[in-house]
Amino acid sequence: MTLSRESHTSTSNSILPQSANLLTENGKFKKSMASALPSGDQGAAEANSGNGGQMQKKPFTFNEIVLRNRLTALVVDGDNFCRLLEQGILQAYGLETQSVNNGDAAVELIASGAKFDLILIDMLLPILDGVEATRRIRAMGMRCKMLGVTACSGERERQAFLAAGVDMFVEKPLGPEILIPVLRELDGQV
Amino acid sequence: MDLVKLQRQLVDYRDSLYHECFLDEQFTQLQELQDENNPDFVVEVVSLFFEDSERLLNELTKALEQQSIDFKRVDAHVHQLKGSSSSIGAQRVQKSCIAFRNYCEEQNVEGCLTCLQLVRQEYYLVKSKLEALFKLEQQILSAGGSIPI
Repeated sequence: MTLSRESHTSTSNSILPQSANLLTENGKFKKSMASALPSGDQGAAEANSGNGGQMQKKPFTFNEIVLRNRLTALVVDGDNFCRLLEQGILQAYGLETQSVNNGDAAVELIASGAKFDLILIDMLLPILDGVEATRRIRAMGMRCKMLGVTACSGERERQAFLAAGVDMFVEKPLGPEILIPVLRELDGQV
Repeated sequence: MDLVKLQRQLVDYRDSLYHECFLDEQFTQLQELQDENNPDFVVEVVSLFFEDSERLLNELTKALEQQSIDFKRVDAHVHQLKGSSSSIGAQRVQKSCIAFRNYCEEQNVEGCLTCLQLVRQEYYLVKSKLEALFKLEQQILSAGGSIPI
């Protein structure tokens, strides 16, 4: 089974957290329970920014990267918020993403034949932890880029996760200074 | 209040949030990821953070009320909160979680209760700051202006 063009926010585990419904079919953020900015006014604002100042569109920053290839990513994080945030960030950079909230689901997904260019995986995960899940994923022959993205800090954790097979140990939050070089490399831009 | 004044107010307010360490560069990254394809990215992500954090704070309160406290469970919740607050750039919340985890390790109930209070305080502070920031943004947009960078 290979990934189809439209990647769904799928989880192989049975119980989806409530907030996960905030994502649409292809993983984009829906208008959520957040007090959404009045879309009509926003349209008007774009048209008449007669505000007297030089408030133009955001300039191109060094943080931006434009992907040339279709890249896919899996986010494995037991915390609802972090999982959705990391997915959102990757999507904003242009990747197609999936996510699961435990290590066992991640292993199952890979075992079923799903392929990813990038995997972000947390250390503390329900059912099967990140270290063991990484070991098993690597044991299946997956050579993709794996970043251990975790709130854990400490040399011992770092060594353990690297030994299990992650390419990089990243303390949360995952920032552009780490992510962008990785994406450039995956995209063949280096 | 006229538009230029509102925009000035927003810039000053936002600067103060960074200056007082309520927010850090991680929040900046989130703002930079917002564009016309993802116009409400920041507001949505922040709302998720509020929901997630309040759930965790409730869990922590319950866990610390138990006769026999499961410190591993408490630590797991604080760990989550540390991760999510750092991911959104809520620096002060993140830092207060670090102290909390130390008390968990020591199985110090008093310490944990004090930290919980502190974390809760910091969380509600940053929540009200962010809500004020979004309100200012909304006022500017309603007045026909755009958000200063």
